[in-house]
Amino acid sequence: MADYEHLIVERHGPVGWLINNRPDALNAMNALMRDEFADAWLELDRDPAVRVIVHTGEGRAFQTGVDVSEIASDGVGMERYRQSVEDWDLHFTAWHQHVWKPVITAVNGICCGGGFHWIADADIVIAASDAQFFDPHVSIGQVVAIEAVGLIRKVPVEAVMRMALVGRYERMSAERAHELGMISQIVDPPELLRDAAQELAEKIARNSPTAMAATKRALWGALEHGLTDACRVGAAELVSMWGHPDQAEGPLAFAEKREPRWQPLEPHDA
Amino acid sequence: MTYSRLRVERRGPVGWLVFDRPEAANAMDALMFDELERAWAELDADADVRVIVNSGSGKAFQTGVDVAQVARDPAALREHSRRTRDAELRFTAWQCDVRKPVIAAVNGTCAGGGLHFVADADIVIAASTATFLDPHVSLGQVVAYEGIALVRKSPMEPVVRMALVGRAERVTAARACELGVVSQVVDPPAALADEAQELAEKIARNSPAAMAATKRALWGALEHGLTDACRVGAAELVSMWGHPDQEEGPLAFAENRDARWAASGEERDG
Repeated sequence: MADYEHLIVERHGPVGWLINNRPDALNAMNALMRDEFADAWLELDRDPAVRVIVHTGEGRAFQTGVDVSEIASDGVGMERYRQSVEDWDLHFTAWHQHVWKPVITAVNGICCGGGFHWIADADIVIAASDAQFFDPHVSIGQVVAIEAVGLIRKVPVEAVMRMALVGRYERMSAERAHELGMISQIVDPPELLRDAAQELAEKIARNSPTAMAATKRALWGALEHGLTDACRVGAAELVSMWGHPDQAEGPLAFAEKREPRWQPLEPHDA
Repeated sequence: MTYSRLRVERRGPVGWLVFDRPEAANAMDALMFDELERAWAELDADADVRVIVNSGSGKAFQTGVDVAQVARDPAALREHSRRTRDAELRFTAWQCDVRKPVIAAVNGTCAGGGLHFVADADIVIAASTATFLDPHVSLGQVVAYEGIALVRKSPMEPVVRMALVGRAERVTAARACELGVVSQVVDPPAALADEAQELAEKIARNSPAAMAATKRALWGALEHGLTDACRVGAAELVSMWGHPDQEEGPLAFAENRDARWAASGEERDG
């Protein structure tokens, strides 16, 4: 198990927790944190005891994107990331890392700018009632692209475009994010966010890990292809489960009124 | 034509296709699969039918494949498995290339494979007591087709949440309406059929040929990137030029009378 300076990685029952831990910097992502994300996602994805992953933050922010003070002060600036972006070689979200376990983002406060990567790339998003969303990129001369491109495929476009263009001068409430279907649950009071996330994760942990992984691949595939082609790709995921022991165990456990004994996920491709 | 798992009826210009297996929560058995394909074709080919309403009898709308029953019929199971694998399913209006407007009127529980009929309808309304859930992964099954189409039609996060949480949670009609999965909630629930008929009669006043081309153009938006979808849509737009309805529409409007549209059904190829 790795040691992390800017993240906390924990297990609570079947739930793996990945917690942004730079509260003094509003959890902004510096170069070290960016590297740690890559390791932490893989650590949790490869741990067979972890069925579901929750991602949240310490302090009053969830995530505020790239650490602008590091960028502004060390003379290297955004150039340090040029190669990885040009080569589409990113590793800091679950989606980048091909995590096929369910991922819940629990937004504990401010989520801005690059913080949207973890909204766009999560399966499920819940938020504390005092969470706020905004995208200040263009207010500091930066382009919004990857995280908003993902988001625009997942929620009504206008709302994303407005955030991208209004920049730092407006914030979206958790309530509006819920109306738009960007998040599915508001937790009030905010202090109960982690309890609510754990509870939701434990519900999900009761389902077949293999069926959930195939379902994730099928549904994310809907964003990669036209509808008909996405159905074809999804059909292959559907069929991949046929003959798997979980398909017999699920109905049997239901009939016998007991918890199913699911097979663990196949080990990660080495 | 006679049906034993469906009720197929006409009320004025509206064709009704009603799941009629209430003792099994309208789950689809092998016979219902066959009848659905036949019923969509019958209503689509009937020139007196301008709009189709799809609903269910009893407490449920539709609860997906009756796995136990289909498994008892080896030939049916083999055929359904083949169609699933090859993406050649033929039980929803979209799968059967129905050209007429289709309204799903969700009268109660819509679970698992029942979501096919929500995903593949043009318009969805629901009784205030209707609920939506997807228990596939709780039974060791993968969600693909219906989830893929829903992801393209509504905010993604709530669809993925429903797919991964499984049987432990239900989406209410009110929430489905907020998310834009449903456009109208009918209360009291007993008024659902009347509301569906009223909506269908409004739609039946529009040009059948223009609506068919519009359907093709808009569903095409789910098949292609934006620019390509506009190119394909442009062909649908132009396909109406010179059609008698394009003269008749403005004329009827100027003369303050109902339009006399060219009969629908005549351009069906083959």
